[in-house]
Amino acid sequence: MKLRYIVILLFPAVLISSCDDFLKEEPLDEFSVDQYFSDPDHAYSAVNGLYRSGATTMYEGGVYSGTPMMFVQYMTGLFDNEYRGQEVHIQRAQQLTLDGLNTAGYIDNIWSNLYQGVSRANNAITNIPNVPDLPGDERDRLLGEARFFRALSYFQLVRMFGPVPLVTEPVTSLDDIYKERSSVEDVYNLIVEDLRFGLEQAGLSTAHMSDNESRITQGAVAVLLADVYLTMAGFPLQQTERYADAATIARNLINGQYGAYALEQHGATPAESAYNKIRRSDVSPEYIYYREYEAGISNSPYPRWTYPVALVKETQYDITNGAYQPEPELLNVYDPDDDLRMQNKQFFHWSLDTPNGEVNFQITPYIWHDDAALFAGPATSSKDVAIYTYPDALLIAAEAIAQSEGVTPEAINYLAQVRGRGYWELGVAGVESTLNGLSVQDFVEEVWTERIRELIFEFRTWFDIQRTRKYPVTDENNPGEVTYVDVVGHTNPLGSTYAERHLLFPISENERQRNPALGENNPGY
Amino acid sequence: MKRTLYDYRRSSDPTWSSRTFAIVLLILFSSTLSPTIANTFSEAPTSPLQQTVTGTVTDETNTPLPGVNVLIKGSTVGTATDADGRYSIAVPDANSVLVFSFIGYVTQEVPVGGQSQINVQLLTDVQTLSEVVVVGYGTQKRSDLTGSVGQVSGEEVLQRPVTNVLQGLQGRVAGVNVFLNSGSPTASPRVVIRGMGTINSSSGPLYVVDGVVMEDIAFLNPYDIESMEVLKDASSTAIYGARGANGVILITTKRGAKSEGLVVGYDGFVSLGTLRKKMDVMNAEEWLSVVERGFANSPKYNPNENPVFTKTDPNLFDANGNPLYDTDWQEEATRTAVSHNHQISVQSMTSKSSLGTFLNYSRSEGIMLNSWLERVNGKIAYDVKPTDWLSMGMNMLINVTKENAIEEGGGGQVPRRTMIEMPPIFPVKFPDGTWSNSQMLSDPYLLEAMANPVHMLKTEDRLRDRTQIFGNVYFTFHLAPGLDLKTQFGFDKHDRLFRRYAPDDLINISANQGGVAEIENQNVLYWQEETFLSYNKEFDEHRINAVLGLSWQERTYSQNYQYAEGFTDNFMKYHNIEAAARPGAPSSDHDRWALNSYFLRGGYTFRDKYIITLTGRVDGSSRFGANNKYGFFPSAGIGWMISNEPFLSDIPALNALKLRASYGVTGNTEIPTYQSLATISSGTTLLNGVRMPSSNVTRLPNPDLSWEKTKQFDIGFELAMFNERVSLEFDYYRKLTTDLLLDRPVPNSTGFSGVRDNIGEVSNRGIEVLLNTLNVSRSNFTWQSTLNFNYNKNRIEKLGENDEDIFYGPFWVTGSQTVFRVGEPISSFWGYERYGVWGTGETPPAGVLPGQAKRSEEPTIIGKGIPSWTGSFINTLRYNDFDLTLDLQFVFDVDIMQQYFHSVEDRSGIANGLRTILQGWTPENQNTMIQEIRHQGYGGQDSQVDSHWITDGSYLRVNQISLGYNFNSGLLERTGLGSMRIYASVQNAFVFHSDDFKGYDPEATSWGEQWTQNIFFFQYPKPRTYTLGVSLRF
Repeated sequence: MKLRYIVILLFPAVLISSCDDFLKEEPLDEFSVDQYFSDPDHAYSAVNGLYRSGATTMYEGGVYSGTPMMFVQYMTGLFDNEYRGQEVHIQRAQQLTLDGLNTAGYIDNIWSNLYQGVSRANNAITNIPNVPDLPGDERDRLLGEARFFRALSYFQLVRMFGPVPLVTEPVTSLDDIYKERSSVEDVYNLIVEDLRFGLEQAGLSTAHMSDNESRITQGAVAVLLADVYLTMAGFPLQQTERYADAATIARNLINGQYGAYALEQHGATPAESAYNKIRRSDVSPEYIYYREYEAGISNSPYPRWTYPVALVKETQYDITNGAYQPEPELLNVYDPDDDLRMQNKQFFHWSLDTPNGEVNFQITPYIWHDDAALFAGPATSSKDVAIYTYPDALLIAAEAIAQSEGVTPEAINYLAQVRGRGYWELGVAGVESTLNGLSVQDFVEEVWTERIRELIFEFRTWFDIQRTRKYPVTDENNPGEVTYVDVVGHTNPLGSTYAERHLLFPISENERQRNPALGENNPGY
Repeated sequence: MKRTLYDYRRSSDPTWSSRTFAIVLLILFSSTLSPTIANTFSEAPTSPLQQTVTGTVTDETNTPLPGVNVLIKGSTVGTATDADGRYSIAVPDANSVLVFSFIGYVTQEVPVGGQSQINVQLLTDVQTLSEVVVVGYGTQKRSDLTGSVGQVSGEEVLQRPVTNVLQGLQGRVAGVNVFLNSGSPTASPRVVIRGMGTINSSSGPLYVVDGVVMEDIAFLNPYDIESMEVLKDASSTAIYGARGANGVILITTKRGAKSEGLVVGYDGFVSLGTLRKKMDVMNAEEWLSVVERGFANSPKYNPNENPVFTKTDPNLFDANGNPLYDTDWQEEATRTAVSHNHQISVQSMTSKSSLGTFLNYSRSEGIMLNSWLERVNGKIAYDVKPTDWLSMGMNMLINVTKENAIEEGGGGQVPRRTMIEMPPIFPVKFPDGTWSNSQMLSDPYLLEAMANPVHMLKTEDRLRDRTQIFGNVYFTFHLAPGLDLKTQFGFDKHDRLFRRYAPDDLINISANQGGVAEIENQNVLYWQEETFLSYNKEFDEHRINAVLGLSWQERTYSQNYQYAEGFTDNFMKYHNIEAAARPGAPSSDHDRWALNSYFLRGGYTFRDKYIITLTGRVDGSSRFGANNKYGFFPSAGIGWMISNEPFLSDIPALNALKLRASYGVTGNTEIPTYQSLATISSGTTLLNGVRMPSSNVTRLPNPDLSWEKTKQFDIGFELAMFNERVSLEFDYYRKLTTDLLLDRPVPNSTGFSGVRDNIGEVSNRGIEVLLNTLNVSRSNFTWQSTLNFNYNKNRIEKLGENDEDIFYGPFWVTGSQTVFRVGEPISSFWGYERYGVWGTGETPPAGVLPGQAKRSEEPTIIGKGIPSWTGSFINTLRYNDFDLTLDLQFVFDVDIMQQYFHSVEDRSGIANGLRTILQGWTPENQNTMIQEIRHQGYGGQDSQVDSHWITDGSYLRVNQISLGYNFNSGLLERTGLGSMRIYASVQNAFVFHSDDFKGYDPEATSWGEQWTQNIFFFQYPKPRTYTLGVSLRF
């Protein structure tokens, strides 16, 4: 009987004596917030994470849907996607029927990806100055990189949505999460401030990005800042004094102050043209800022977009899609006789030699064509994708100088460098002679046309239309000639007429529900 | 970035290792059966002063009933019948009364009155009010219950030849919805009790097996089950506190023999599964006509395209352009599935101990090629009472499962899709032996890339191996009469190995990757320690039943995963993953939660008329925020046995009438761990050609995070009439779940999409009816019916601060296909209305042409996926030694979203589709819902989720028709068998549903979330199964 009582008394005594830690929650596969930014490595890993989130995700997309940057271009009505029937956001953009409800899901993705980039950058920008043992030069470089990415995200946001909430600190609690929209001007001021820091105080490298461990360089910051100034000079801010700022930055970039960049030059044959050199290289020397790909880690989707659906069985890929098919009205910006870019297998292609003979197909981008991935296999491409290139810098400079200083020989030369490579028989000097004596307006329009032609794979057309409020009209009887009309009221080749509201995307109704402080949607939506 | 594998499969034969395991278990068996163990405890001597009564207990068909309890009324002295239904008991005097009781039968009391032999025939009990039911931490007399508890016996679970316990539960308890969403042997049903009270947390009930919480109930052996009790209302579930909100299913497994001696049993069945119906897809000629018409219509939709239709590929067409093949891919990808199941049980009992050992082997084949599940279960239960103050015992269950699963989620080019969409012009293999795929065609049809389904089914492995060790050890100290202290340690350990290999020639699956291998390991260890005092006592007119205890629970989980692609050949697969050219980043994961709880229940019954039960539990959970670690969950229930009141006692037809009502609060803690903390997720990102470390903040913290609270009110009655031949149980309930654990939407401009928070409310209201009738009761013929049904109305009452709509997906084709909106039920479908097709005289909006669907401007709610009415009607007829069961099941007021309409009707030309396409719009046939044929590759498509995809999902299923024969005892005596039953049955014999439903079975989902019921792309067809079985007792 004794045993019985001992056992019975012992049990509850053992069991009721609790240990305080039993219900404590301590993850082992994640850091807790207070452990973070306690080591220099944390600063690096926080900034590394910015390279493939936020703004650069605008260049990433599914084989059917295309990328958000293509979505922006579909707004011009000059590009088509063979899967538009399934991917409704494409039809909404082409037909200008998008609103905050019917395209909410797609727009939410763009918005939240960009703000995720802002948020992660804010986290780095706020915490990196306090990381112990992080040398000052490394700290400044990392801050420069983080602020570059924050600026790029806001630049995308402000161009797409106009006035947006300006979040500059990491959000760590539910206090103060309902931010009102800041003015477009305030957003641009933050962008400029961030990029100015990157250019002047961060001590970033002047090497080419590919020689800088693929990290942000002074060149990348400069070209973005030049683009920002150029955009600020146009609609909606119309701060025309910014042309001079854009001219200064772009000129300094061209003059080598932020690193040595040059145009790729043609080889002896069409297959050795500058465009094919760019196409065949993993990273072209002409790229100033690009999105990286590496087979097995992150495969490039772009080769899938270099053939129409119909041609898939000629390739190693299981799905191809003409997600970025230029319409004839777009192709008419090129002179098919004189402009090398409009020859087969330069910028675009439309035929393929197969064992059963030559197959022709609808004109499709060629610049992303990765021969090895498409034909030799495996169907994995490492080719990096350009975001900012040297021709971009030249064209920014040409326009900005013309607007701020007049049509100077320098401005003419910059435009002629780009156009002269396309009009290879005419050459730079030949092109220069055709540009002499143009009025500022005529010259600037020539630059715009050249931007459509040269920067077609950097997806600039719609942003230029927003900035200039002018729509390029081509003539099938006179290809290469472009006239500019007011975009508002103009009917695009797909039969859709632009209204004032189309110059911005709507804010998604979901986001408006989430944040009542956003107030009214963009005018007209 | 964690990647998790959902399903896996294989091709090599795993039987060898299963066999080894079976042999080991058999050896275990023989050792536990040795007489030295069984006879350790000597039998108590019989007093010479006493008188001995013997006899046989049989059922209505005169079949001996083993295991019937025989008790001397007013004492604790008792015995049980042996395998032949015989008993022998010493009674103190002639005034004694013997009480014969057995689960499922009406208890009989027989005065001894000097008889030495008393034979008893027990009648089937329709309403077991007098029986004891298992409740949380103990048992109660059914008549003392104030809560709503459904009961299913092991026999009922096995009435259908099942390999999954939950299949046996379907249709047995009102208010318990069991969704059998797939015909795959590797899929498990989903259980929802009394409507969905949660969105983000698990809506599944808590499973407690012999007092121990078990995860992955799908792999429990149904033959091990003695009984299942479903706790539905707050009075019965509140004892499980923070884990009780979705209801609790208590499972009691079999143990030793119920009477002294040894019973050996064998149960087995063989079944054949066949494809019940086919989807109505086009043959080669019809499909080619669609391609041709699509070519012709292309310029209308895309002026750039004017394709020329040809039929010239010599591998597929003869010289006249006639197709060489007309393959029925549904036929090719399926088979007659042969499954079998064997159970051996050895149960023994001595006066002080009992031992049960059980072994089960089953192999279930799916009707899709190469899908199978193979399982070995072993179980040992041992109970002993070494002294009068101590009882103890243990239960150990080992479960080894191997399976090859078919991918059933999402929308990829997998066999359940390609068996419908692969064009019929292709053969399975070309004459030279190569597998066909949709790109092996020189005519310019622009077919969607797909490997043929047979190729994929036969060559892709999706293997999942699981080992589970589950059990408990308990000690019960009998402190005083009626007062026990029980302490029990239980554990549930899972080791899982998932492996996949997809070879390098499956296009659109793994060809671009050059073959893909994946390996994932998961380890789970759960343990619990529970100690409680229980007190059961009767004083004159008072009966008390009380429990007071405490509980500790902890679960740890770890996982690791490896992916690789780029194999030079398909030989080594996951066995040598380092041979792959491009390994993915490895990943691993760890997770832990803990619960510490204190609970109390007091039940009091006065004069067998007035009953009250009070319950309370305090739960502390690691998963909740620092400011809210502990919660209290109380409930109260009252009962009134009106039939025991004098004013009703003179109604002879009335056997029992009880009113009961309860109210209480339970909780739901089933959210992912660490949700209250802001943490930093670390991984890698591509930078400079290599993987570099990267990290980011994962979420916003919420230290106030708390459990979901469900307040439930229940009122009901139980009625038994006409000698208990009619019994009715009725319940009305109202459940309001508040503080829903939801991702409260926050502005995306914060960088986060939501914060896990307690927002939102969902209500469920409904009735449950269970009607049992013994329609005919003659000595050689009985007919018994069970009708049960449930009506449930689900409504979202509140969401976030601004009641924002929430779109949680599934995201497919045009965005989220469901919406969470205040005033609407969970699982509301989101899409456009389709009014018809634009006609030639009409002016469609820009970009739309006549021949395309005419839809509403904006999306709206177009259906709902969870039924309002569910129920079943089960009839059992016995004639002499034969028994016949007819089991019907129905659901009503529900819709189906047929997502496959996207690719098999709204889109045409690039894959095969439904024959309805042939009736599509033409200028001559404008009054139709079906769009004009246009070749998707040239003319594009117009496909969006709309009301044309939605159909009524109500159905009536002839779930089972079963015919059994019990060999009578005379016949058996010569063979030495105790009992023998053989049966034949057809499961899923017929399904009646709307003509507009074009799929295989009206109950399915292709998406994992619980609110995606009845939203599906393509299905694993549910077979019609023919079974032949036998049950033997020695």
